[in-house]
Amino acid sequence: MSKGLKLTDILVTFVIAIVFGIVYQLWTPFYEFLGGLGLHIDQLSYGMWFIAATVAYLIIRKPGVALLAELAAASGSLILGSPYGVELLIYGFLQGLFAELVFFAVRYKRYDILVVSLAGAASAAASLLFDWYKGYIGDLEAWNLALMIGFRTISAIVICGVFAYFLVKALEATGVTNLVRPASKEDYDALDK
Amino acid sequence: MQFDFIHKETWLHKINPSFKLIVILVLFIMVLFIHNINIMMNYMVVILFMFLLFSGQPAKRVILILIPVLFMFITTAIPMIFFGKGDTTWFGWGLIHITEESFFRGIHVGLRALIFTGLGIIFALTTRPVFLFYSLMQQLKIPSKYAYSFLAGLRLIPIMIEEFQTIRYAMKVRGVQHKRGMKGFYEVLRKYSIPMLSQSIRRAHRVAVAMEAKRFSQVKNRTYYYKITFSWNDIMFVLYFLILLSAAYFISVQYPYFAITDVRYK
Repeated sequence: MSKGLKLTDILVTFVIAIVFGIVYQLWTPFYEFLGGLGLHIDQLSYGMWFIAATVAYLIIRKPGVALLAELAAASGSLILGSPYGVELLIYGFLQGLFAELVFFAVRYKRYDILVVSLAGAASAAASLLFDWYKGYIGDLEAWNLALMIGFRTISAIVICGVFAYFLVKALEATGVTNLVRPASKEDYDALDK
Repeated sequence: MQFDFIHKETWLHKINPSFKLIVILVLFIMVLFIHNINIMMNYMVVILFMFLLFSGQPAKRVILILIPVLFMFITTAIPMIFFGKGDTTWFGWGLIHITEESFFRGIHVGLRALIFTGLGIIFALTTRPVFLFYSLMQQLKIPSKYAYSFLAGLRLIPIMIEEFQTIRYAMKVRGVQHKRGMKGFYEVLRKYSIPMLSQSIRRAHRVAVAMEAKRFSQVKNRTYYYKITFSWNDIMFVLYFLILLSAAYFISVQYPYFAITDVRYK
């Protein structure tokens, strides 16, 4: 078993990322519509922007995949002409990196709902960090800022954690994940029987 | 399907794509350090000017692009205008508290988002993805397995769209009724996303196997079908920003529109 990502892993990661790149394009008008409602209601849909990382990780289960997927999804959106423009690259990189750090912390050994929820929350933290510089969110009234952080974190946990987990669970039923996952210890044990 | 939105080629299309990307990233980082709304407004004009004159798009499409962008400007600016910190109250109603400081900070944040959009759209409209990835491999030495994988992925988009249509028609012809509310929304999402994702992953896997079977390898001295080089257009691109942004800075210092030099709350 060789370490690192093979061509198959990279291609599958990119394709997942591009699927979500398209989803992001469809999500943009929805998010902007919610933004028009005010009081940070839009933040409740913010978690969708981090989902590429957790889904790719859950499917492929290899180091580096989360960062690569999130960055590729952001680049894909940029190439498709997203109205958010160049900032996507920085958001994508930071969000992917923070999610990747969570997976690194568990040594890429755990694939449960808690870990992906944590990764989602970490991505939310990354996006807030960048918004601090870009959007001066530190200059919002305190209650308003708390509302924004709360909504964004909740949505990250619900969408990137719970929803992504069940999405991949349903994908596992189709058998497609067996194509791309590395052989686990149970697989080797099964051979010995 | 063509992956570009090119209507008429301009000099922006002939710039080396990697170089264009780097210049745009530098401009992007620059914007993050601007806290003076006067400079931001002039900066915005420089970008808008380039987009309107050199993107090579017909007027109708320019307007079509600008509508969602303007909406985004409003949704970015409003939260800060309504709920930002400030001392000079203009208007207060319930939770909404508009002050002079928060108003200008909101406009500033909105302008910043507009500049990012402008830079991103200029890049997307004037860059062919194929040339971008060839350039990334040749000039920035991105490993070919990443570049070609991404290109292969982009090529799968039309198939994904076709598949989406197929699923839609299949459900329609069988008279599938969707429930309303959150549960119905989840059902719809599941019915589309699972087949789309699983088929895409299978296809990606097959493409990768085929690439390796045909001896796709990462040799150092690989040859490229497209040779991406530099030209005078690259220098023009830098000069455009160097001259006009210096002018923008000079004008905003000499003839400011507003007396505010820093929108951050002290």
